[in-house]
Order: sequence, then C-alpha cells, then structure tokens
Amino acid sequence: MTNLEQYQTAEALEKALGDPNIPESVMSFQKVMEIDETEAFPHEEIEWLYNWKLADYYTPTNCGGKFTNFEEFVAIVRVLCRRDQTTGIAFTTMFWSFLCWMAGTEEQKAKLSKFVREEHGAMCLGYSEKEHGSDLVNGDLTATKVPGGYLLNGEKWPINRATISGISFVLARTGEKGEAKGLSLFMVDKREIADSEYYNLPKIHTHGIRASDMSGIGFKNCFVPDSMLLLKEGDGLELGLKGFQITRTLCAAFSLGAVDTALRTTLNFASERVIYNKTVFDLPQPRRILVDAFLDILLCDCETIGAARGFSVIPQQFSVWASVVKYFVTTQIENTINNIYPVLGSRFYMRDEHDFGMFQKILRDNSIISMFDGSTVVNLHALMLQFRQLTKQRRRRQPETMKGIAERLEQIFSLANPVPAFDANKLELFGRGMDDPLHGLEVALKKLDELQQNAELNQEVLSKLINLGNIVLEELDAHDSEIANSKFEFGHDQSPELFEIAKKYCTLHASACCLHMWLYNRNSLGDFFAQGEWLVLSLHRLLRTIRPLPYTISEHYIENVAQELVKLHQENKSFSIVPIQLAEANTIKQEDNTNAELINV
Amino acid sequence: MPNSSMSNQTTVENWLKAQLAEQLSLEAEAIKATEPLTRYGLDSIDAVTMVGDIEDVLDEELPSTLFWDYPTIAKSAQFLVENYDVSALADAKDEPVEELEETVAAPVASAGKSKGWGGLFG
Repeated sequence: MTNLEQYQTAEALEKALGDPNIPESVMSFQKVMEIDETEAFPHEEIEWLYNWKLADYYTPTNCGGKFTNFEEFVAIVRVLCRRDQTTGIAFTTMFWSFLCWMAGTEEQKAKLSKFVREEHGAMCLGYSEKEHGSDLVNGDLTATKVPGGYLLNGEKWPINRATISGISFVLARTGEKGEAKGLSLFMVDKREIADSEYYNLPKIHTHGIRASDMSGIGFKNCFVPDSMLLLKEGDGLELGLKGFQITRTLCAAFSLGAVDTALRTTLNFASERVIYNKTVFDLPQPRRILVDAFLDILLCDCETIGAARGFSVIPQQFSVWASVVKYFVTTQIENTINNIYPVLGSRFYMRDEHDFGMFQKILRDNSIISMFDGSTVVNLHALMLQFRQLTKQRRRRQPETMKGIAERLEQIFSLANPVPAFDANKLELFGRGMDDPLHGLEVALKKLDELQQNAELNQEVLSKLINLGNIVLEELDAHDSEIANSKFEFGHDQSPELFEIAKKYCTLHASACCLHMWLYNRNSLGDFFAQGEWLVLSLHRLLRTIRPLPYTISEHYIENVAQELVKLHQENKSFSIVPIQLAEANTIKQEDNTNAELINV
Repeated sequence: MPNSSMSNQTTVENWLKAQLAEQLSLEAEAIKATEPLTRYGLDSIDAVTMVGDIEDVLDEELPSTLFWDYPTIAKSAQFLVENYDVSALADAKDEPVEELEETVAAPVASAGKSKGWGGLFG
C-alpha cells in the first residue's frame, strides 16, 4: 500500500472492484468483453460505482462531496479504465459537473450535488453539432428568450451519454453566428422539461467503446426556465473553454488506465511463452519494446500527475498545460499500445483468446481518447497561438520571477506535500505567457548541479541527467529563437511545420516535468525511482525524437528497468511512478446489484 | 478633453488596425473600425490571444474577453481609452507588432542539430 494519502481511495476502489481476471469480479475482463460484444450500456457496473459512493469524488467538498484536487481523481479514473474505458468514460462524463461547480449558483450546485450523489444521476455535454463539429460559435442550436426562460431549437451530435443521462449541458446560440459572446450554456434537467419538446437521436455504432451511449439530443421549441442558465447570457463560450481545460487534462487518465492493462496482458504472454528455449521477454528485442512501453508510462505519469497537481497551484496557466497534456499523453500512449502489440503476436487481434481478448478492445477503445474533448489538431493549434507570449515571457524572466517559479514547482511536484484545494475561478482563457514547468527548467538544472556534491547519488547517472537536461535547455532556447524569428499570423491556415514545432514543445515540456518530478521526490517514491536510471532513459527516449542520439544510452539501466517492470508485474502493482497495489484474487468484494435501479434511463 | 480622448481613440484604432493587418495579411486601409473583427477572419481564440499583445505594450492586465465584449475596433478602442492609460500604444504605433528581442543569433533547427549528441556520449 502506498503511503501517499491521495492514492488510497484508488487502492480501496481497486480492492473493492476485485481482480478483473476473475470472471465474477465487478468489471471483470470477461464481463466487459461481453458488454463490448453486445454493445449494451453497462448499467449494472455504473450502478455499482454509484453504490460505492464514487460520485462523491467528482463533487467538491464545498458542494457536499469529497473532491479536493485532481491527483486523487486521476488515480481513481485509472483504476476504472484499466478494466474498461467504456465504463470509465461513461461514469466520468460526470466531470462535466465542473461546469456547474465553477459557475453555478448555490442553488444550482446543491441541486446537482443531490442529483449525482443521492439520485445517481448522470450528465452529458452537448457542444458539437453534425454540421459544425468543434466550430462552436457557428452552431445552429438556438435559445430564444421568452418570458421566464428560453426556447431551445436544434440538435447536438455526437454526444456521449446523450440518451442515458438526466442532465444535458447544452451550448446554445443566443446571439449572432460567429459571435464569441453569442453562446450561452444551459444545465438542462430533463425531468423538468416537457417530454414532447425534446428527443434523442439513435445510438451511433462505433469502432471502440462500443457499449457507450453515443447518440445525440434534439430540442423543438423546448422551454427551459431561466434557472437552467449557467452564469449570464453570452458567457457560454468562456465557461465552455475553461471547462475543457479541466476535462482535456483528465483525459490522460483514460489513456494511462488502459495502457496498464495493454502492457500487463502482453507481459502475461511474454513472460510465459517459450521460443528458442527462452521466454519472449528474455529475447532482447521484445524486452526492449516492453521496457520502452514502461518508460512511456513513467514519463507520461510525470506530465499527468504534475498537471493534476498543477491545477491547484497554477490554474491560470492551464490554457497551455491542458493542451500539452491532452496532446502529448494521449498520442504517446496510443503509440505505446501500437508499439507493443507485435510482442503479443497474432493474439492482439483476437476477440476471445488470451486474457479474454482485452488487447484488441483496448486498441479500439483507446483510439478515441486523443480525438474527443478537443482533438490533437485543436490542442496543438491552441498551444501555437500562445507561442509568442510564451517566448516573450521566458525572455523577460528576472531573478524574482525565477524565485516564484521555483517555489511553485516545489509545491506542484512534491507529492508528499498536499496541494491546496482546486479553485476553478482562477482558470484563464490564456496563460499570459506563463509555463512554469518549462520556464523553470533552469531551476531543475541548478538543482542537478548542486547534487554533484551528494555522495549518495550515482554520479554517472547524475552526469547523464545534466547532459540530457542541457539538451532540453538548448532545444528550448532554439525553439524561442525560432518563434522570435518567425512571422505569426492568426487564422486556421497554420503551417504544418508549426504543428511539428508545437509537438516538439510538448516533448520538451514532458522532459522538464520528468526532471522536476524526480528532483522533488527522490526521497519519497522508493529506490527504483530515486536511482534515476529510468529518468535517464526517459529523457533519452524523449529527446531522441527531436535530435539524433544513439539508440542505446546504457544497457545496464535498461536491464534494471526491465527488472522493475518484472517486479511490478509479479507483485501485481500498477505500472506507475506511484505503483499502487492492484486487486488480488482473494479480495473480490461481492455486491448485490440485482435490485439496482437507474433513474435516468 | 475631447480632443485628447479623440486622438487617443484614433491612436488605439490605428494600432489595432496595424496589428490586425500584420497578423491577418491584410491592408490596414481595408479594415473598418466599425466592422466586427470576426469579419476579417479573427476567430474567438485569436481574439483572446490578441489581448495578450496589447497587454505587452500597455503593461496592464486586461480582461481576456476584451474583444468578445467589444467586438469591433471602435468599441474596443473606446473601452481601452476610457479605462487605461494608452499612451504606450502611441509610442508603439510605428512598430505595430512588437518584435521579439533577438538574442540568439543562430537559426534554431540547425542550432539544435549542430550540437550533435551534446557531449553526452563522448
């Protein structure tokens, strides 16, 4: 059991759900495969999660729940998604409740809190439209003012949980097309509108997360009272974009949950299967592929857990950080899963062989994560718009600025210290050029230099870290120089080259997060973490994508990381910088859900 | 002082026009102060970004939704004149887009690559 308090709820949930390899467990692999094959919504599993009071962890303490910060939240969602992304995502549409937690009146918040925690209510987000996709300001769904409320007209599509939910957050046009202030956000409670005035669109059959309620909702002269409007008329886009900063960051947890099982099921095979008188895992090439996959998880952990904690310290910087996490972690993990399937061989493609055919399901399910809640293109575009500001701000840093950054980095990355409660009111539409993880890179490099006096540290590791850290700095300086020298234009005709520059920025960002994570937790996350060999390999893996470097930096380090991977696999612990104990076969909790009723069907 | 505020208004309008012209590849003369900015291809997120450009020159924190709330050059200029000291924009009017200070001479891509393996594997 981890001694970090913020991971204990995840461990408790893990234990309560039971070992997913045992068919009788809640959300067992056999069960979720059956659900996937039938494409039937996982009502029982969702109800079990409500009965476990999981909704409390999506509801802030000042609204009656137990949520205080996103680090715990990310750990919980990983527990769900290592079993099944379909159920994990279906339950986690509840993170849209943050729209109300951040902008609702006391009455709206109290009502929503009761709805999710006591009435087991669910919600969906109605932003996109068939003809307009993510071009929100040009949407056709309108809200026309009438005495006491508004009349909604139009359709939202494709919407996850559009049908099986009691509340729809609907972005409606109250002004002219194209006007940023022409959108308003409504928290539409379906119980309080006339059945005849709204309808659901048919289930959409999808490549992955097949059992999801992927559908849509339409309104025809549907009266919604003023009490369902969030903030004021015209505030919809601002609120919507701030909400995305939260949910985009959290999407990383969906990916990190799934990749744990993808790697674990592949290791199950690779450690048992014997060819050429060796196990597959003992062959150098597959072993390296799996070590690289493990490194991917560790380095994505540093970016994700850093961001989850960063929300509590520097929420005003998340127009940048959320875009980096959403792009970087979800695409990196997609690549990880694609990289490891050759080790599993043809079984990766089978729907009923080897661990119930989970790999092919993960491959399909996970491919949506980088697309929804703002695609890769949307996130890279949002990031590149801020490049000039980021570069200017970085060049203006003074000793006093660096002192502030150093203090915030310590607060963000020291996992042993609690972070303040998240304050959504501090989110900003743009970050004013601030990006502490990268702008504090020199803080990390200075700390590395100082560690050369520390006799307990392996100086060879440290020397490599200093060299790799300096490459990050050189590349970041080069990035700033490139931005300073380039002409910027607004609009959507950004060059493909600029997209590549944005991807590189994300790689540097992840490198910086890895360094910070190690520096502030060397004494608290165990020997493997403290040794720092994984960090050398992770930085090398990241930087190799932007600069020619030798394929291997140290065979010895790779072997040590391989040993840690085997150890976590054998001890049934999660692949993470904070490995939690996964459910063992003898810890299945029996729950009787047969009488469970759903109120929102 | 109506004349002064009128002249401030014109200064801000011209600065914004020049800014837009530069970053949307338009002729400044073609931009009308009373037309919605979206008409020139400035979308909602671009408009938020442009607030940062003005903040840089004025050294003031402005509402990030400035161009959403005042969606024409005339309206946003009026808001700025009425609420902020905009004299810095007058000084910057001949240099519509603040150039980033160039402190690194070498072009970037080659700068990175020329470092080889950074001495890491020597």
